[in-house]
Amino acid sequence: MEFFRKTLDPIIALAAIAVLDIFMFLLMGAWTVGGGETMMTGLMAQAVLGDELDRIPFWSIVFPPHADYWKIYISLGMLFGAFVGAVASKEFYLRVPRHLSEWVLITIGGLLMGFGIRLAYICNVSTFFGLMPEMNLGGYLAMSGIIAGAWVGSLIYKKLLERDA
Amino acid sequence: MTPIVECLVAFLFGSVAGLLMQRSRFCNTAALRDAIMFKTYRNTKAMLVAMMILTVGFTGFMSVGAGHPLQFDVGLNTFAGLFLFGIGMVLAGACTVSTWVKAGEGNIGALWALIFTFVGMFLFSLVWSASWWPPAPQTMTGQINAPALQLGFANAQTLQDKFGIPAIVFGLAQTAFLALLYRGILRRERAQHAEHEKHQREHQKKKAARAAAVEV
Repeated sequence: MEFFRKTLDPIIALAAIAVLDIFMFLLMGAWTVGGGETMMTGLMAQAVLGDELDRIPFWSIVFPPHADYWKIYISLGMLFGAFVGAVASKEFYLRVPRHLSEWVLITIGGLLMGFGIRLAYICNVSTFFGLMPEMNLGGYLAMSGIIAGAWVGSLIYKKLLERDA
Repeated sequence: MTPIVECLVAFLFGSVAGLLMQRSRFCNTAALRDAIMFKTYRNTKAMLVAMMILTVGFTGFMSVGAGHPLQFDVGLNTFAGLFLFGIGMVLAGACTVSTWVKAGEGNIGALWALIFTFVGMFLFSLVWSASWWPPAPQTMTGQINAPALQLGFANAQTLQDKFGIPAIVFGLAQTAFLALLYRGILRRERAQHAEHEKHQREHQKKKAARAAAVEV
Protein backbone atom coordinates (compact mmCIF):
# COMPACT_ATOMS: atom_id res chain seq x y z
CA MET A 1 0.00 0.00 0.00
CA GLU A 2 1.21 3.48 -0.91
CA PHE A 3 0.57 4.66 2.67
CA PHE A 4 3.28 2.37 4.00
CA ARG A 5 5.81 3.20 1.29
CA LYS A 6 5.95 6.97 1.35
CA THR A 7 6.50 9.30 4.27
CA LEU A 8 3.29 11.10 5.15
CA ASP A 9 3.26 14.90 5.20
CA PRO A 10 3.21 15.77 8.94
CA ILE A 11 0.73 18.60 8.27
CA ILE A 12 -1.80 16.06 6.93
CA ALA A 13 -1.07 13.67 9.80
CA LEU A 14 -1.47 16.34 12.47
CA ALA A 15 -4.59 17.82 10.85
CA ALA A 16 -6.20 14.36 10.93
CA ILE A 17 -5.15 13.83 14.55
CA ALA A 18 -6.56 17.28 15.44
CA VAL A 19 -9.98 16.38 14.00
CA LEU A 20 -9.99 13.12 15.99
CA ASP A 21 -8.83 15.03 19.07
CA ILE A 22 -11.95 17.24 18.79
CA PHE A 23 -14.06 14.07 19.05
CA MET A 24 -11.99 13.01 22.07
CA PHE A 25 -12.60 16.44 23.63
CA LEU A 26 -16.34 16.00 23.18
CA LEU A 27 -16.39 12.45 24.53
CA MET A 28 -13.84 12.37 27.36
CA GLY A 29 -11.18 15.04 27.14
CA ALA A 30 -8.34 16.19 24.89
CA TRP A 31 -5.32 14.08 23.91
CA THR A 32 -2.92 13.68 26.80
CA VAL A 33 -0.05 11.40 27.72
CA GLY A 34 1.35 12.50 31.09
CA GLY A 35 -1.69 11.49 33.13
CA GLY A 36 -1.66 7.95 31.76
CA GLU A 37 2.07 7.67 32.34
CA THR A 38 1.62 8.77 35.96
CA MET A 39 -1.05 6.13 36.45
CA MET A 40 1.28 3.50 34.97
CA THR A 41 4.01 4.67 37.36
CA GLY A 42 1.56 4.30 40.25
CA LEU A 43 0.44 0.83 39.14
CA MET A 44 4.05 -0.34 38.76
CA ALA A 45 4.99 1.14 42.15
CA GLN A 46 1.99 -0.61 43.68
CA ALA A 47 3.03 -3.91 42.12
CA VAL A 48 6.54 -3.56 43.57
CA LEU A 49 5.83 -1.92 46.93
CA GLY A 50 2.34 -3.30 47.73
CA ASP A 51 0.81 -1.68 50.82
CA GLU A 52 4.06 0.20 51.45
CA LEU A 53 2.85 2.63 48.74
CA ASP A 54 0.39 4.06 51.31
CA ARG A 55 3.38 5.65 53.01
CA ILE A 56 3.72 8.02 50.03
CA PRO A 57 0.64 10.30 50.29
CA PHE A 58 0.92 11.42 46.64
CA TRP A 59 -0.44 8.04 45.52
CA SER A 60 -3.49 8.17 47.80
CA ILE A 61 -4.28 11.89 47.47
CA VAL A 62 -3.26 13.06 43.98
CA PHE A 63 -3.12 9.90 41.85
CA PRO A 64 -4.65 6.75 43.41
CA PRO A 65 -3.63 4.00 40.93
CA HIS A 66 -6.49 2.63 38.78
CA ALA A 67 -5.98 0.31 35.83
CA ASP A 68 -9.23 1.46 34.16
CA TYR A 69 -8.03 5.04 33.68
CA TRP A 70 -8.60 5.82 29.97
CA LYS A 71 -5.50 7.98 29.55
CA ILE A 72 -3.27 4.91 30.02
CA TYR A 73 -4.73 3.38 26.87
CA ILE A 74 -3.95 6.37 24.65
CA SER A 75 -0.25 5.71 25.32
CA LEU A 76 -0.58 1.95 24.79
CA GLY A 77 -2.50 2.67 21.59
CA MET A 78 0.29 4.93 20.31
CA LEU A 79 2.83 2.19 21.00
CA PHE A 80 0.65 -0.31 19.14
CA GLY A 81 -0.16 2.01 16.21
CA ALA A 82 3.49 2.93 15.74
CA PHE A 83 4.48 -0.75 15.91
CA VAL A 84 1.92 -1.68 13.24
CA GLY A 85 3.04 1.25 11.06
CA ALA A 86 6.71 0.35 11.43
CA VAL A 87 6.21 -3.35 10.70
CA ALA A 88 3.91 -2.71 7.71
CA SER A 89 6.41 -0.30 6.18
CA LYS A 90 9.38 -2.55 7.03
CA GLU A 91 10.85 0.10 9.30
CA PHE A 92 10.85 -1.94 12.48
CA TYR A 93 14.27 -2.83 13.72
CA LEU A 94 16.05 -2.55 17.05
CA ARG A 95 17.99 0.67 17.37
CA VAL A 96 20.33 0.75 20.33
CA PRO A 97 22.23 3.92 21.34
CA ARG A 98 25.91 3.22 20.75
CA HIS A 99 27.71 5.67 23.00
CA LEU A 100 27.66 5.82 26.78
CA SER A 101 27.11 9.60 26.50
CA GLU A 102 23.81 8.99 24.67
CA TRP A 103 22.61 6.67 27.43
CA VAL A 104 23.53 9.28 30.05
CA LEU A 105 21.72 12.09 28.17
CA ILE A 106 18.61 9.96 27.66
CA THR A 107 18.58 9.00 31.34
CA ILE A 108 18.87 12.62 32.53
CA GLY A 109 16.35 13.75 29.90
CA GLY A 110 13.84 11.08 30.92
CA LEU A 111 14.15 11.95 34.61
CA LEU A 112 13.65 15.67 33.90
CA MET A 113 10.61 14.95 31.72
CA GLY A 114 8.94 12.73 34.34
CA PHE A 115 9.69 15.11 37.21
CA GLY A 116 8.60 18.15 35.17
CA ILE A 117 5.29 16.62 34.06
CA ARG A 118 4.29 15.92 37.62
CA LEU A 119 5.46 19.26 38.96
CA ALA A 120 3.35 21.02 36.32
CA TYR A 121 0.39 18.57 36.52
CA ILE A 122 0.58 18.63 32.73
CA CYS A 123 2.61 17.18 29.84
CA ASN A 124 3.68 18.72 26.55
CA VAL A 125 0.90 17.03 24.54
CA SER A 126 -1.73 18.54 26.82
CA THR A 127 0.05 21.87 26.51
CA PHE A 128 -0.03 21.99 22.70
CA PHE A 129 -3.20 20.01 21.96
CA GLY A 130 -5.32 20.57 25.09
CA LEU A 131 -4.56 23.59 27.23
CA MET A 132 -3.52 26.00 24.46
CA PRO A 133 -6.59 25.37 22.25
CA GLU A 134 -8.83 25.61 25.36
CA MET A 135 -7.10 28.95 25.97
CA ASN A 136 -6.30 27.84 29.51
CA LEU A 137 -4.06 30.26 31.36
CA GLY A 138 -1.84 27.28 32.17
CA GLY A 139 -1.31 26.72 28.44
CA TYR A 140 0.47 30.05 28.10
CA LEU A 141 2.55 29.42 31.24
CA ALA A 142 3.42 25.92 30.04
CA MET A 143 4.20 27.09 26.50
CA SER A 144 6.58 29.79 27.80
CA GLY A 145 8.17 27.20 30.08
CA ILE A 146 8.70 24.58 27.38
CA ILE A 147 10.12 27.10 24.87
CA ALA A 148 12.53 28.46 27.50
CA GLY A 149 13.44 24.90 28.48
CA ALA A 150 13.96 23.78 24.87
CA TRP A 151 16.19 26.82 24.33
CA VAL A 152 18.32 26.03 27.38
CA GLY A 153 18.36 22.35 26.40
CA SER A 154 19.52 23.28 22.89
CA LEU A 155 22.33 25.42 24.34
CA ILE A 156 23.49 22.51 26.49
CA TYR A 157 23.20 20.14 23.53
CA LYS A 158 25.21 22.46 21.26
CA LYS A 159 27.94 22.75 23.90
CA LEU A 160 28.13 18.97 24.14
CA LEU A 161 28.29 18.59 20.35
CA GLU A 162 31.11 21.15 20.11
CA ARG A 163 33.04 19.37 22.87
CA ASP A 164 32.71 16.03 21.10
CA ALA A 165 33.68 17.51 17.72
CA MET B 1 -19.74 5.87 28.98
CA THR B 2 -18.45 3.03 31.11
CA PRO B 3 -14.72 3.01 31.94
CA ILE B 4 -14.19 0.02 29.63
CA VAL B 5 -15.69 1.87 26.65
CA GLU B 6 -13.60 4.94 27.51
CA CYS B 7 -10.46 2.81 27.56
CA LEU B 8 -11.37 1.26 24.20
CA VAL B 9 -12.04 4.65 22.59
CA ALA B 10 -8.75 5.95 24.04
CA PHE B 11 -6.86 2.93 22.68
CA LEU B 12 -8.41 3.40 19.25
CA PHE B 13 -7.53 7.11 19.20
CA GLY B 14 -4.00 6.34 20.40
CA SER B 15 -3.53 3.66 17.73
CA VAL B 16 -4.54 5.96 14.88
CA ALA B 17 -2.44 8.81 16.29
CA GLY B 18 0.55 6.47 16.73
CA LEU B 19 0.21 5.15 13.19
CA LEU B 20 -0.05 8.65 11.68
CA MET B 21 2.92 9.88 13.69
CA GLN B 22 5.03 6.89 12.75
CA ARG B 23 4.27 7.40 9.06
CA SER B 24 4.87 11.16 9.17
CA ARG B 25 7.87 11.13 11.56
CA PHE B 26 6.18 13.93 13.46
CA CYS B 27 7.85 14.83 16.72
CA ASN B 28 6.95 17.57 19.20
CA THR B 29 10.54 17.82 20.38
CA ALA B 30 11.71 18.43 16.82
CA ALA B 31 8.96 21.05 16.40
CA LEU B 32 10.66 23.21 19.03
CA ARG B 33 14.28 22.02 18.90
CA ASP B 34 14.71 22.23 15.11
CA ALA B 35 13.18 25.69 15.00
CA ILE B 36 15.58 26.87 17.73
CA MET B 37 18.75 25.00 16.74
CA PHE B 38 18.57 24.51 12.99
CA LYS B 39 15.94 27.05 11.84
CA THR B 40 13.98 24.30 10.10
CA TYR B 41 10.23 24.17 10.55
CA ARG B 42 8.82 20.92 9.11
CA ASN B 43 7.37 19.80 12.45
CA THR B 44 6.68 23.31 13.75
CA LYS B 45 4.29 23.97 10.86
CA ALA B 46 2.38 20.73 11.47
CA MET B 47 2.07 21.57 15.15
CA LEU B 48 0.73 25.05 14.36
CA VAL B 49 -1.84 23.66 11.92
CA ALA B 50 -3.10 21.21 14.56
CA MET B 51 -3.26 23.99 17.15
CA MET B 52 -5.29 26.20 14.80
CA ILE B 53 -7.82 23.45 14.04
CA LEU B 54 -8.07 22.57 17.72
CA THR B 55 -8.48 26.16 18.88
CA VAL B 56 -11.44 26.69 16.55
CA GLY B 57 -12.91 23.28 17.44
CA PHE B 58 -12.48 23.46 21.20
CA THR B 59 -13.53 27.08 21.70
CA GLY B 60 -16.42 26.57 19.27
CA PHE B 61 -17.83 23.72 21.33
CA MET B 62 -16.98 25.48 24.59
CA SER B 63 -19.17 28.42 23.43
CA VAL B 64 -22.19 26.13 23.70
CA GLY B 65 -20.98 24.42 26.87
CA ALA B 66 -19.94 21.16 25.17
CA GLY B 67 -16.71 19.22 25.62
CA HIS B 68 -14.50 18.31 28.55
CA PRO B 69 -11.89 21.04 29.09
CA LEU B 70 -9.13 20.36 31.61
CA GLN B 71 -9.84 21.85 35.01
CA PHE B 72 -7.13 22.53 37.53
CA ASP B 73 -5.29 25.47 39.03
CA VAL B 74 -2.10 26.64 37.39
CA GLY B 75 0.81 28.65 38.70
CA LEU B 76 4.56 28.85 38.99
CA ASN B 77 4.77 25.04 38.96
CA THR B 78 3.18 24.97 35.47
CA PHE B 79 5.97 27.12 34.07
CA ALA B 80 8.75 25.46 36.09
CA GLY B 81 7.59 21.92 35.31
CA LEU B 82 7.47 22.48 31.56
CA PHE B 83 10.79 24.32 31.72
CA LEU B 84 12.42 21.18 33.19
CA PHE B 85 10.50 19.12 30.65
CA GLY B 86 11.80 21.29 27.79
CA ILE B 87 15.42 20.72 28.81
CA GLY B 88 14.76 17.02 29.30
CA MET B 89 13.11 16.46 25.93
CA VAL B 90 16.00 18.04 24.02
CA LEU B 91 18.59 16.01 25.95
CA ALA B 92 16.62 12.78 25.53
CA GLY B 93 15.81 13.61 21.88
CA ALA B 94 12.18 12.64 22.44
CA CYS B 95 9.04 13.81 24.21
CA THR B 96 6.06 12.02 25.72
CA VAL B 97 4.65 11.23 22.28
CA SER B 98 7.78 10.24 20.42
CA THR B 99 9.02 8.02 23.26
CA TRP B 100 5.96 5.80 22.71
CA VAL B 101 6.09 6.04 18.91
CA LYS B 102 9.84 5.41 18.66
CA ALA B 103 9.62 2.58 21.22
CA GLY B 104 7.00 1.03 18.91
CA GLU B 105 9.53 1.22 16.04
CA GLY B 106 12.07 -0.71 18.12
CA ASN B 107 14.08 2.22 19.45
CA ILE B 108 15.66 1.01 22.70
CA GLY B 109 16.86 4.53 23.58
CA ALA B 110 13.24 5.76 23.51
CA LEU B 111 12.19 2.87 25.73
CA TRP B 112 14.98 3.80 28.13
CA ALA B 113 13.76 7.44 28.15
CA LEU B 114 10.26 6.16 28.93
CA ILE B 115 11.49 4.06 31.85
CA PHE B 116 13.28 7.06 33.32
CA THR B 117 10.20 9.25 32.77
CA PHE B 118 8.42 6.80 35.07
CA VAL B 119 11.32 6.99 37.54
CA GLY B 120 11.21 10.81 37.40
CA MET B 121 7.48 10.72 38.16
CA PHE B 122 8.06 8.41 41.10
CA LEU B 123 10.81 10.69 42.42
CA PHE B 124 8.41 13.62 42.19
CA SER B 125 5.81 11.68 44.17
CA LEU B 126 8.37 11.41 46.99
CA VAL B 127 9.18 15.13 46.82
CA TRP B 128 5.47 16.04 46.78
CA SER B 129 4.79 13.83 49.77
CA ALA B 130 7.36 15.86 51.70
CA SER B 131 6.51 19.35 50.38
CA TRP B 132 2.76 19.03 49.56
CA TRP B 133 3.33 21.57 46.75
CA PRO B 134 1.83 22.27 44.25
CA PRO B 135 -1.62 22.04 45.92
CA ALA B 136 -3.50 18.76 45.47
CA PRO B 137 -6.59 18.90 43.20
CA GLN B 138 -8.85 18.65 46.28
CA THR B 139 -7.49 21.92 47.69
CA MET B 140 -7.55 23.86 44.42
CA THR B 141 -9.84 26.89 44.65
CA GLY B 142 -9.83 28.24 41.09
CA GLN B 143 -8.76 31.60 42.54
CA ILE B 144 -5.40 33.32 42.93
CA ASN B 145 -3.56 31.75 45.85
CA ALA B 146 -0.41 33.81 46.38
CA PRO B 147 1.15 31.83 49.27
CA ALA B 148 0.98 28.65 47.14
CA LEU B 149 2.19 30.57 44.03
CA GLN B 150 -1.03 29.70 42.22
CA LEU B 151 -2.89 31.84 39.67
CA GLY B 152 -6.11 29.85 39.76
CA PHE B 153 -8.14 28.69 36.78
CA ALA B 154 -9.06 30.50 33.56
CA ASN B 155 -9.86 29.38 30.01
CA ALA B 156 -12.03 30.36 27.03
CA GLN B 157 -15.12 29.32 29.01
CA THR B 158 -14.34 31.58 31.98
CA LEU B 159 -13.63 34.43 29.52
CA GLN B 160 -17.07 33.88 28.00
CA ASP B 161 -18.71 33.89 31.44
CA LYS B 162 -16.85 37.02 32.50
CA PHE B 163 -17.25 39.18 29.41
CA GLY B 164 -20.41 37.73 27.90
CA ILE B 165 -18.61 37.25 24.57
CA PRO B 166 -18.76 33.72 23.05
CA ALA B 167 -15.60 31.65 23.61
CA ILE B 168 -15.21 31.16 19.85
CA VAL B 169 -14.47 34.89 19.41
CA PHE B 170 -11.41 34.54 21.65
CA GLY B 171 -10.60 31.31 19.86
CA LEU B 172 -10.65 33.00 16.46
CA ALA B 173 -8.35 35.73 17.76
CA GLN B 174 -5.87 33.09 18.94
CA THR B 175 -6.18 31.24 15.62
CA ALA B 176 -5.42 34.46 13.75
CA PHE B 177 -2.30 34.91 15.88
CA LEU B 178 -1.19 31.33 15.15
CA ALA B 179 -1.87 31.90 11.43
CA LEU B 180 0.39 34.97 11.52
CA LEU B 181 3.14 32.85 13.08
CA TYR B 182 2.62 30.27 10.35
CA ARG B 183 2.86 32.92 7.65
CA GLY B 184 6.04 34.24 9.25
CA ILE B 185 7.56 30.77 9.04
CA LEU B 186 6.58 30.40 5.36
CA ARG B 187 8.24 33.74 4.58
CA ARG B 188 11.36 32.72 6.42
CA GLU B 189 11.45 29.43 4.52
CA ARG B 190 11.11 31.25 1.20
CA ALA B 191 13.97 33.57 2.18
CA GLN B 192 16.11 30.55 3.17
CA HIS B 193 15.30 28.90 -0.14
CA ALA B 194 16.22 32.01 -2.14
CA GLU B 195 19.47 32.33 -0.19
CA HIS B 196 20.28 28.69 -0.85
CA GLU B 197 19.65 29.07 -4.61
CA LYS B 198 21.81 32.20 -4.71
CA HIS B 199 24.68 30.30 -3.09
CA GLN B 200 24.27 27.46 -5.55
CA ARG B 201 24.31 29.81 -8.55
CA GLU B 202 27.45 31.52 -7.25
CA HIS B 203 29.06 28.16 -6.68
CA GLN B 204 28.21 27.09 -10.26
CA LYS B 205 29.60 30.35 -11.65
CA LYS B 206 32.88 29.91 -9.73
CA LYS B 207 33.13 26.34 -10.94
CA ALA B 208 32.56 27.40 -14.55
CA ALA B 209 35.12 30.20 -14.19
CA ARG B 210 37.69 27.76 -12.80
CA ALA B 211 37.03 25.32 -15.65
CA ALA B 212 37.43 28.15 -18.20
CA ALA B 213 40.72 29.23 -16.56
CA VAL B 214 42.10 25.70 -16.81
CA GLU B 215 41.16 25.47 -20.48
CA VAL B 216 42.94 28.77 -21.21
